[in-house]
Amino acid sequence: MDWVFLTELAINGALTGLLYSLFAIGLVLIYKASSVPNLAQGGLTMVGAYVVLALARDVGLPLWAAIPLAAVLMFGLGFGIERVALRRLAGRPVVMILMLTLGLDIFLRGTTLAIWGGTSRSMELGVSYEPLFLGDIFISRIHLVGAGVAIGLFVAFMLIFRSRTGIKLRAIADDYMASWSVGISVERGVGLSWALASVVAVAAGVIWGEIQGVDQALSLLLLKGLAVAVLGGLDSILGAVVAGIILGVVENVGADFLDPLVGGGSRELIVAAVLILTVMIRPHGLFGHHDIERV
Amino acid sequence: MQQKVEIQPILSMNSVEVLYDNVMLAIKGVSIQVPKGKMIALLGSNGAGKSTTLKAISGLLKAERGRVSRGEIKFEDTDITEMLAQKRVEMGICHVIEGRRVFEHLTPDENLTAAAPAGMSRSDLNGEKEKIYNYFPRLAERRNSLSGYLSGGEQQMLAIGRALVTQPSLLMLDEPSLGLAPFLVAEIFGILQKINQEQGMSVLLVEQNALAALEIVSEGYLIENGRVVMNASAEALKSNSDIQEFYLGGGEGTNFHNVKHYSRRKRWLS
Ligand SMILES: Nc1ncnc2c1ncn2[C@@H]1O[C@H](COP(=O)(O)OP(=O)(O)O)[C@@H](O)[C@H]1O
Ligand SMILES: [Mg+2]
Repeated sequence: MDWVFLTELAINGALTGLLYSLFAIGLVLIYKASSVPNLAQGGLTMVGAYVVLALARDVGLPLWAAIPLAAVLMFGLGFGIERVALRRLAGRPVVMILMLTLGLDIFLRGTTLAIWGGTSRSMELGVSYEPLFLGDIFISRIHLVGAGVAIGLFVAFMLIFRSRTGIKLRAIADDYMASWSVGISVERGVGLSWALASVVAVAAGVIWGEIQGVDQALSLLLLKGLAVAVLGGLDSILGAVVAGIILGVVENVGADFLDPLVGGGSRELIVAAVLILTVMIRPHGLFGHHDIERV
Repeated sequence: MQQKVEIQPILSMNSVEVLYDNVMLAIKGVSIQVPKGKMIALLGSNGAGKSTTLKAISGLLKAERGRVSRGEIKFEDTDITEMLAQKRVEMGICHVIEGRRVFEHLTPDENLTAAAPAGMSRSDLNGEKEKIYNYFPRLAERRNSLSGYLSGGEQQMLAIGRALVTQPSLLMLDEPSLGLAPFLVAEIFGILQKINQEQGMSVLLVEQNALAALEIVSEGYLIENGRVVMNASAEALKSNSDIQEFYLGGGEGTNFHNVKHYSRRKRWLS
């Protein structure tokens, strides 16, 4: 057993996993507010990346200005989605909201394809591709940066959810009717959650766009993101972070063992197994809330 | 009710009809007045239309696809019939909905914070919380545990405390005694009376437990099949033979829970 190699696999797996978390945090924010996994989170992430590129390449802004500006625009888009679409679904079955997010995803993919075409564009963040060496262990710099962003966002949301606004958001996540009864603007809270998730989508779009290029494939991040969110418990940000690390490590280390045996493709099998086993064995995931049985 | 003392009503509801889903007529011309600073009871059996009446006043009907199809509701001389629920809370109407719907995954302290009005400063909020913990010392002890694990009585106290944070001048409670032991009902009703006396807050109390309610209110309305069928002082209601037979009979405080309880526990959008 090559321990150095195994450690390297585990560390890089954990870093990649945190990039899944970066994506999954957006899913969790919307799940808390709207009780559905947002099937358009992949589309939003892709749009986030395209908007950054549009501002940087087409408008000519430097990246340090383009990224925050894109975040502001996407924040507005998130609010707009609530205002234009979600508000009309008040009182309807939750599955309708789920279908709405699916429609939104298709719409976002179609729109980006129409505007920017199908060829992949590069983000060019300027992060060096020289690997970083930790002793004998080889680490990718962009993954390290992305993991830092994920942890930064995690800390930021922990603080937000302790603030008065954040407590109101958690109240909305608990009970719409009770929230209205004490004057909380549920609509505004849901809009804010979508807005924040759209900002997260910009962060994920920039990092993943740097790693795999900006094209339609970015929207497919949804699948791994969903697996991570479900394992974490869907409504827990901490869950999304821990689950991302777990999935990343299991996937990276597991694939190294399994790939020679099954001849490739074992990454997908591992992700599928994690998702299915979670739903079967622990439907509330690692940290998810469940309805408290009252006496 | 001969000796009707003319106090300016804080709330007056005139011939209000409510439709759910545009077809189901739940209340049929209900008129109710709550005089300023008084405690009024709204009594009636299951399905009579008590909760619907409160939702019409608080604006929570909309969330259940109901609407006021006739009549008007005035609060402090303002027509609020079509006003947003949030606006009504800002004006001073707060509705403690049935079933003690506390925010289960928040602590009692956070439940109180969640209800803070937009402009309330941190120190005002803390002062408000202390006042509430003084009224409900049991809550103070458990202020940092998860609300979902509180006992039924504690959750009801929290639901009331959470409503108080909004600084209501009219507090409406929907069956706060449901499922609680008589000593807890007495404790909670005692506190309501105390708050009413100390702060002059008007109270509209919906109850099936007529015996307990008539002990603390000055006047009551009896509603049946979506219509007000009786309105009299608490004394008169207590001695009325129909009321005694149907609502106070059996000697125990709680009545007619034998009818299947219409449960609106379906959590909206969840
Ligand atoms: N959301 C709703 N949709 C349709 N009908 C409703 C709804 N809520 C209540 N109702 C009906 O309205 C009537 C009055 O109900 P409600 O006001 O809850 O009575 P109470 O609170 O006195 O038990 C009942 O017949 C009930 O079935
Ligand atoms: Mg009721």
